[in-house]
Amino acid sequence: MKNLLPKVGINPERIEMFNLSAAMGPRWAEICTEFTEKIRVLGPSPIWFALKARKEKAA
Amino acid sequence: MIVGEQKPLEEIWEMIKIHKQVLVFGCNTCVAVCQQGGNKEAEVLASMLRMKATQEGVDIEITNSGIERQCEHEFFEKSEKEIQGSEAILSTACGIGVQFMAEKYAKPIYPGLNTTFLGAVEQFGVYTERCQACGNCVLGQTGGICPIARCAKRVMNGPCGGSTKGKCEISKDVDCAWQLIVDRLKLLGRMDDYETLTPIKDWSTDRAGGPRKLVREDLADE
Repeated sequence: MKNLLPKVGINPERIEMFNLSAAMGPRWAEICTEFTEKIRVLGPSPIWFALKARKEKAA
Repeated sequence: MIVGEQKPLEEIWEMIKIHKQVLVFGCNTCVAVCQQGGNKEAEVLASMLRMKATQEGVDIEITNSGIERQCEHEFFEKSEKEIQGSEAILSTACGIGVQFMAEKYAKPIYPGLNTTFLGAVEQFGVYTERCQACGNCVLGQTGGICPIARCAKRVMNGPCGGSTKGKCEISKDVDCAWQLIVDRLKLLGRMDDYETLTPIKDWSTDRAGGPRKLVREDLADE
């Protein structure tokens, strides 16, 4: 997926894979927090902007 | 198996963007093994095309589906409805599947792959050519190594002068097929086969004789 996403103009940093067992709750929460922050820094995706533009055009 | 490689996304997009609805249709046999055109890959490609369409601001509905083999009538039955209901099809089968669909359905059928060769899975993710379907197999005389598919010059009595240290002159990464043949015949104690001069090959069974057809009269309906 990391190789495919740039082909449609999406930063591959927006996807990550983690292997965790069901017993690793705290680590899961940590990853979610870190990844959410990462996406927040990256900002909205080009898809979001495209959908927004379409919505505005339709309105 | 037949090996294929997905076409660049831009090329696919240029073909399909004129339509309002496109079905990305996978073929889950050969081209699924090389992970280019199976039903899973068709699903991923459909998703990519939807993202592309959204960004380009083009209103096009892209769905996906697939069957086990696009080169046999029987397998189409379960997908008949969705194929008939589609404006155009982007097939991720090899060239055989694409043509077979084009013959079956009176609607645009586009190729999602470039069909590359008949090959083997050397290791996960590595596919190499082994056969050119020449219609007149010589593997019995060449120790099981094909001089037609694997020798750049298709030399029948090799090696040629371009063979150096077991490699072909076209690339240091390509084995000389005739070196492989000699090594193999030595291993099998069959070097007498190597000494036998192979006559000029009859290419009429190859593509030179035009499109080929095989009819098993004992199996085919009248």
